[in-house]
Amino acid sequence: MPAVRVRFEDLAAGDEVPPLSRMVTREDVKRYADASGDHNPLHQNDDVARAVGFPGIIAHGMFTMGQLARCLTDWLGDAGALVRMRAQFRAPVFMGEILVAGGRVRSLDPETRTAALEVWVTVERAGTTEYAIRKSDAEVRLTEGG
Amino acid sequence: MPLNSALEGKSYSETTFTVDAERVARFREALGDGRDDVPPTFVTAAEFTVFPAIVSDPELGLDFTRVVHAEQEYEWRRPLRVGETLTVRTHIASIRQKAGTGFLTIRSELVGADGDVAVLAWATLIERSA
Repeated sequence: MPAVRVRFEDLAAGDEVPPLSRMVTREDVKRYADASGDHNPLHQNDDVARAVGFPGIIAHGMFTMGQLARCLTDWLGDAGALVRMRAQFRAPVFMGEILVAGGRVRSLDPETRTAALEVWVTVERAGTTEYAIRKSDAEVRLTEGG
Repeated sequence: MPLNSALEGKSYSETTFTVDAERVARFREALGDGRDDVPPTFVTAAEFTVFPAIVSDPELGLDFTRVVHAEQEYEWRRPLRVGETLTVRTHIASIRQKAGTGFLTIRSELVGADGDVAVLAWATLIERSA
């Protein structure tokens, strides 16, 4: 078992997860398409994306959710501690934009050593904070000794 | 044309999915994930062994050019392991129509060699009105 960085006893409602930032590049989105098997042309072909009104290709919603999961597993130090996540995709993400994934502890259940979190991913666009993922949640379980 | 709600509950042919080391490495690279366990959302690759059959299902009548991924949920009962082969069982959990927009929720079950469910996944797609 990898070392768990977060201990259940150290958590309190309102605690923030350290945010994770990442620039979205064409190369990574292409890599993501190949690795995930999602070859929707909206994520690979600018002409197709423009035909439906976008300035160019958009990142997969799951690429954005992947960043969110990474934000949580980097913090937890153990992918096995993430037991549930629900993400609502609210805005498209364009190439060259910077995703910022984050979360906050909503409540704690000492019985099951589970923390419920509110989670999100934002992107700054033309001076406005857009939520690529919002009104979403995750559950992490920190086992004894962790 | 609205989605065919009679297809609620329809199951699709089960598939097998092997957690391939090279594919996991590429997935990690795409996300910039420096950890050495399988990223939790790698489950999407298993879901995509069935999704093409669903979105092209003529009975369902989905217009893929108007489809957007609206929501995704996972329940991980254990992490996936590199090299293991899982059985993927998929069915349509619900079909709803709201103000000209169709909502389709697909539920996938990833079952390990021991017969236990490793992960449950729900993907909700919306079909925007034409």
